[in-house]
Amino acid sequence: MRAYWQLTWAQLLLFARNKNMIIWSFFLPIFMMLALGTFMGKGGNQFSMSVAIEDKDHSTYSKQLTTMIDEKAGVKVKRIPKQEALKAVEKGDVSIFVRFDKGLGDRLEKGKAYPKGEKESIRLYFDKSNPTVSQIGTTVINQAVDQLNKKAINYHPAVKVAEKDIQSRPLRTIDFLVPGILSLMIMSNNLNGVAATIASWRERGILRRMQGTPLKSSTFIAGQITARVLLNSLQAVAVLLVAYFVYDVKIYGSWLLLLMIILLGTLTFMSIGFIIASLSRTPETAGPIAGLISFPMIFVGGIFFPVRDLPGLLQPVVKAIPIGYLTDGLRGVMNEGATLTQLWLPTTVLTAWFAVAFAIAAMTFRWDVK
Amino acid sequence: MIDVKQLVKIYDGKRVVDGVSFHVSEGEVFGMLGPNGAGKTTTMEMVEGLRSPDGGEILVGGFDGIKEQTKVKELIGIQLQSTALFDHLTVAEIIRLYGSFYKKMRPLSELLTAFNLEEKKKGLVKHLSGGQKQRLAIAIAVVHDPKVIFLDEPTTGLDPKARRDLWDIVLQLRDEGRTVFLSTHYMEEAEQLCDRVAIMDSGRVIALDSPAGLIRELASDSVIEFVPGREEASSTYQGLGGVKEVKISEDGSVTLLTADLQETLRKLIALADERGLMLTGLRTRTSTLEDVFLTRTGKRLTET
Repeated sequence: MRAYWQLTWAQLLLFARNKNMIIWSFFLPIFMMLALGTFMGKGGNQFSMSVAIEDKDHSTYSKQLTTMIDEKAGVKVKRIPKQEALKAVEKGDVSIFVRFDKGLGDRLEKGKAYPKGEKESIRLYFDKSNPTVSQIGTTVINQAVDQLNKKAINYHPAVKVAEKDIQSRPLRTIDFLVPGILSLMIMSNNLNGVAATIASWRERGILRRMQGTPLKSSTFIAGQITARVLLNSLQAVAVLLVAYFVYDVKIYGSWLLLLMIILLGTLTFMSIGFIIASLSRTPETAGPIAGLISFPMIFVGGIFFPVRDLPGLLQPVVKAIPIGYLTDGLRGVMNEGATLTQLWLPTTVLTAWFAVAFAIAAMTFRWDVK
Repeated sequence: MIDVKQLVKIYDGKRVVDGVSFHVSEGEVFGMLGPNGAGKTTTMEMVEGLRSPDGGEILVGGFDGIKEQTKVKELIGIQLQSTALFDHLTVAEIIRLYGSFYKKMRPLSELLTAFNLEEKKKGLVKHLSGGQKQRLAIAIAVVHDPKVIFLDEPTTGLDPKARRDLWDIVLQLRDEGRTVFLSTHYMEEAEQLCDRVAIMDSGRVIALDSPAGLIRELASDSVIEFVPGREEASSTYQGLGGVKEVKISEDGSVTLLTADLQETLRKLIALADERGLMLTGLRTRTSTLEDVFLTRTGKRLTET
């Protein structure tokens, strides 16, 4: 037991005295979060567009229509004349230009159907090369016009659609990203960290010197695990605190469950790290092997974008590897406030991965190079 | 204390340790002398339990060195040929860490004093000199007050001052009543420190006795070395009175082992006059373990 505590303590001291490790594993995730957070924008609304309006009608109706468009979420209305507005659309400063012609108010006042061959009262100008914006823009304006039309003819719909937002909490990009960054941090710290460190200790004979004492390999591994679990929890808390204070990212679920998932992830990726360290002959090969395994995981682990956005071909791979489950678990607790029961799939898969990887790690562990 | 019988280790089909047997008594300094690659380290590491033998028996302090390794490891302290420790831990932290691996641990201050490391107590391992590192390596070898200590080439790479310091430490360990098993390729070290020496070459023990006993076996207590002006057949020297052994090395220098120094010298000078040989670098000395190795194997221990 004394050996276990001493080994844990020694490893923590080694962490604390390794400046590179501190910079890479502590500040990198925070820098990454700050960089991505700034780049993606802090704003709650990811959608915003500006609409230029020229009102030649000047009736109560045209003014009402302008207000209605302006009140739509994410839409900013600028009032500018045609020439200027068209240039702005071309440059991309304005997504869409709307012109209300004279007579618009008259028609609505009369509430009559639109006669054939007559000039249209509302014109939209947009840049089709930007289909998303032009599509949303036309929809927004069509909706407003439609509403006004229905009102004018005193229209009562026979069937109504009720819309309900089931996302009870507003999910912003940064809320989505923070658990992903945590997941990435846990994987790279443990998988790459353990593989490189253990392989180098073996190469240098540090492990062989320990082999010459009554120390058991299980005690050694247990000390490593404890130190790394503590370090990872500390790093996770640091990232979460920065996320909370800078971006107001909240954890809706329980902290305990979150720490449990961090622990599971740490154990799983450490075990894989130990296996890589055992299988590679030298530290020079351990690093690249670990990199080769962890690098693709960044893309298929749902870290920066959801796993469902990946091509179907990759889905079986994604479902087999642990990183996606770790990300899901973290996201579940943080974004959705999920409970352990709701997270049975990620936790079960991670536990299974840990059990198998640990067994292999224990079997393949070697103190010595030969 | 240590009993080794017919120990064998095979690497890639080569018998690097080939039927080695010896006995180390309690309280003695036992040395293994031999050139690099003779199998000294491999033999030691098998006794320490770091490598598993391909044949033979090992008994350490009454425990089976193969089946009861945990018990053996509690009993022994080891210093590897190059002891690698965590660079970013301090001397005191390293001692405490290694002490925690054993059932009992000597007080830290006692170890720091014994190995002259008090000043470096809070210094990181990476900032230690070669001699300090080696002293720390031995300090952690005796951290649990072991009965047997293994030192694998403890002075290799050290400067003369540090080497002397280490010799003092070895003698101190012996005076504390511990059994010391060391390997070296310096014959001087073996002569100075060891009660008994096993000479190893090509995986075998070729001689085993006290240093004095080994030299006595040569039946020639003196050595004459010189460089003749021109090459002569070794039979030319063989006939000189008292000569037991003639070695001519590649650079042309001649080594004569003799039981009668005066007689051989007289005859050698006469021979040189007669044949017009120009003897340079002529010197005489008493026989050493180096000469024992030379006569037994025909090779020099260290190419100097």
